[in-house]
Amino acid sequence: MAPVSLRSIKKNYGNVATIHGVDIDIADGEFVVLVGPSGCGKSTLLRMIAGLETITEGELSIGDRVVNELEPKDRDIAMVFQNYALYPHMTVATNMAFSLEHRGASKAEIAERVNWAADILGLKPLLDRYPRQLSGGQLQRVAMGRAIVRNPQVFLFDEPLSNLDAKLRVVMRGEIKGLHQRLGVTTVYVTHDQIEAMTMADKIVVMNAGRVEQIGAPLDLYDRPANLFVAGFIGSPAMNFIGGRITPEGFAAAGITLPLPAGNLPASNAVYGIRPEHFALTDAGIPATVLLVEPMGSETQVSMQIGEHQVIGIFRERLRARPGETIHVLPDLDLVHLFDADTGQRLN
Amino acid sequence: MKTDLSPRLRVALYGLLCVLLIPFVFPTWWMLTSSVKPISDIFAFPPDLWPRRFDFSTYAKVFELQPFARQYWNSAYIAAIVTLGTMVVSSMAGYAFARIKFPFSNTMFMIVLLGLLIPSEVTIVPLFQMFLGWGMINTHWPLILVPVFGAPSVFATFVMRQFFIALPGELEEAARVDGLGRFKIFWLIALPLAKPALGAVAIFTFLHSWNLYLEPIVFLSSTQMFTLPQALTQFTDAYGGAMWNIQLAAATMTAIPVLVVFIIAQKQFVEGLAHTGLKG
Repeated sequence: MAPVSLRSIKKNYGNVATIHGVDIDIADGEFVVLVGPSGCGKSTLLRMIAGLETITEGELSIGDRVVNELEPKDRDIAMVFQNYALYPHMTVATNMAFSLEHRGASKAEIAERVNWAADILGLKPLLDRYPRQLSGGQLQRVAMGRAIVRNPQVFLFDEPLSNLDAKLRVVMRGEIKGLHQRLGVTTVYVTHDQIEAMTMADKIVVMNAGRVEQIGAPLDLYDRPANLFVAGFIGSPAMNFIGGRITPEGFAAAGITLPLPAGNLPASNAVYGIRPEHFALTDAGIPATVLLVEPMGSETQVSMQIGEHQVIGIFRERLRARPGETIHVLPDLDLVHLFDADTGQRLN
Repeated sequence: MKTDLSPRLRVALYGLLCVLLIPFVFPTWWMLTSSVKPISDIFAFPPDLWPRRFDFSTYAKVFELQPFARQYWNSAYIAAIVTLGTMVVSSMAGYAFARIKFPFSNTMFMIVLLGLLIPSEVTIVPLFQMFLGWGMINTHWPLILVPVFGAPSVFATFVMRQFFIALPGELEEAARVDGLGRFKIFWLIALPLAKPALGAVAIFTFLHSWNLYLEPIVFLSSTQMFTLPQALTQFTDAYGGAMWNIQLAAATMTAIPVLVVFIIAQKQFVEGLAHTGLKG
């Protein structure tokens, strides 16, 4: 286990800059998730930590060593790849033992470590099989087994669940989280799935276009997104955004005036953000025309029009409204987010 | 692969296939049967598909008229060395062109491929001059060096490169994280996975060397040094006429090992070519 520190890390491919100076501190034993849309640079950053990509500028430390110039094998990291990258011509046991064999471990030590890892991940019955004989979930577990067998200082996961179906993803998510809790190894995990990020991370790094937009605990990012990008990226369904202007009477948007949270906010053009689940049904609320009702069982998702804006609301109540009918909803003012219309930065 | 052909169409299709088979099977059948016929029966009209008399002495005469066992050994060991050498050269070159980034790699690969466009007849005279200078005429070295570093190896390099290009990059990256350097990645990861392509390379290289004709007649002059294709032309009587039954007995013994190898390895051969994108 070791802390990882990224200082002003930059990556250029020729004249094209893809990572624009990233600073991240990862504490010893922390589970950090790099999340962002495709092409945001999260995988590149992970590969730079692994040593599979060179660092154009900046300093990368693992533990107390600067590792910029070290080969992947000398960084004491283990990586789980998106497509598992298990050696097809080797059995599960050989795959898991491979790195130890090439680091000069004794046969007894290799057998002990492979058995230990196989025990933890329930791989014992599969040790003599080849990768082609395994299911997606089993392949994923073997890939993790290969990573943990070496007892590295840092685990790196590159979108490891993206090839699994939705149900298996949920199971494996729990297994990876459980493994981290059990082993306590510093983990950097890349995903584009914000639900994976929310459920697994101690700390989330939201990236966009090669820059870090915000770093924080999952619920901090959810409750207090620093800007419009993070607000829109974290949470599903996404936060509703309504463009308008802050006025003394409230938030003036097209066709409607919305109530503002308490506090002195200067009059300016802004974006009003409210999460779907932060609407309440109340007769004293704002009139909203129902466009679509989607009962989910535990809750009801409603597409509705407020003024000239289409928004989504999620209600615990079993709403029986039909499209075209009017309901009355009120945003929870403690949970309303306001962003500067020009910079996108948080105002409240 | 399952197909939904109607029984009538299936019968028609198999009938057509049987007809198309004749020009491929008949020469082999003719060779096999004629090798045990007395020479007068070979040209009997109408021709006999099944020999009226069996004369197996033709096979013994093959060994009496020529040092055929020695020639057989010559062909076998030359083909084995050429096959092994080509596998080594082409797998390493193919891997380098496919997986290692170095300046002008594509241009260099194109230049190497251009070698395929030059017919061997064009280079045979300069090669003769070169090997003459090196004192290698009437030795087997030209028959080993020319294929291992010449056109067959270029084609094999192309096949291997196409295979290695398709190898997932993540495997190599996983190996780097596991502590392997470039050569061990090639040796322990890439090469074992390249078995189908290597199999294809081995088969066509072996066949090419086994059937090599022009080079042996240019570079070899003593019957002890001859290879089989060259030896097959030497079964003649005192007037230079072909001793057909003996020649066909020798041809049968020459062809059978190749047929056996191909029948055993044809699946791997086709799979190997499929990996290169060469399969039709």
